[in-house]
Amino acid sequence: MKISDYLKKEFCIMDLKATNKEAAIREIACLLSDRGKVKDKERFIQDILERESLGSTGIGHKIAIPHSRTDVIDGFAIGFGRSRAGIDFKALDDDKVNLIFLMGADPQELNLYLRLLAELSKLLMENAFRRELLSVSTAEEVVEVIKKFEGAGATIK
Amino acid sequence: MAIQTIAVSISGSNASLITAKYAIYLAKQLQAKLSAIYVVDEKSLHELLKSRIFVEIEAVEYEHDLKNQGKTSLERIVKMAESKGVNCEPLLLEGVIHEEVVNKTKELAADLLVIGDLKEVLSAREVFYDEGERIFRESPCPVVVVKNPLEVERLYKVL
Repeated sequence: MKISDYLKKEFCIMDLKATNKEAAIREIACLLSDRGKVKDKERFIQDILERESLGSTGIGHKIAIPHSRTDVIDGFAIGFGRSRAGIDFKALDDDKVNLIFLMGADPQELNLYLRLLAELSKLLMENAFRRELLSVSTAEEVVEVIKKFEGAGATIK
Repeated sequence: MAIQTIAVSISGSNASLITAKYAIYLAKQLQAKLSAIYVVDEKSLHELLKSRIFVEIEAVEYEHDLKNQGKTSLERIVKMAESKGVNCEPLLLEGVIHEEVVNKTKELAADLLVIGDLKEVLSAREVFYDEGERIFRESPCPVVVVKNPLEVERLYKVL
């Protein structure tokens, strides 16, 4: 299973309107809900914020991965949002966040969820991957960049 | 060479029930011993903690839930096997999935390892990282990759 199996162009926001963490989470969650991926939008947002209360998912390098296991999602869902100005996520490096991946999974899908999170974290550790996500113009290109790096043999260590 | 011992690797997903059913079918037909292996994916947990996507309390909770899922899945498969007159040894392990499965298969001196269908591989990277691929490549014995769930269900039903 790969991130690109789940992250489609319809689930990407190239220019978030939100200017704070909760609003950004809400904006991406609303998109996933509008696309039929979430059974209860408010519960989903609440579950994500509850996880955030344990510690910020702003992991540095301008990235945040808010996530939660939640029974308001069937299987697995992921949305992407990019903020030009950056959002204060109380990230580990205190820098603003520009790239946000919002993820939720059915509590039964433990292994799938762990592997997809681990896969995304591996991709995001690559400078070139982050750079390309920051520079692309369209949602189609976001998906193409992800596919390109998922298939990149050059990253084998 | 008679096939006396069969190992099956399961993940706790619904798809891995199909894998288990085929392993039970083979064990019954070949009158072989069956061992079902579930590995708690500590590698992913460790990576997520290291990259700070998980906080400590979250990782502990996931580990606990993975163990419970493994236990429940194994119990279910043991019961399924029993219902077909097959003895199945449940093995709940922790660590890096492919390493644990391969090592346990060696330790059991299994004649056959049954695994679920492999995903489509896009790159050399995936061959290196995908646990299923690595089990397939590093197994010490012949590997059966289970496909065609409908046919497996049919075989299991008439067993």
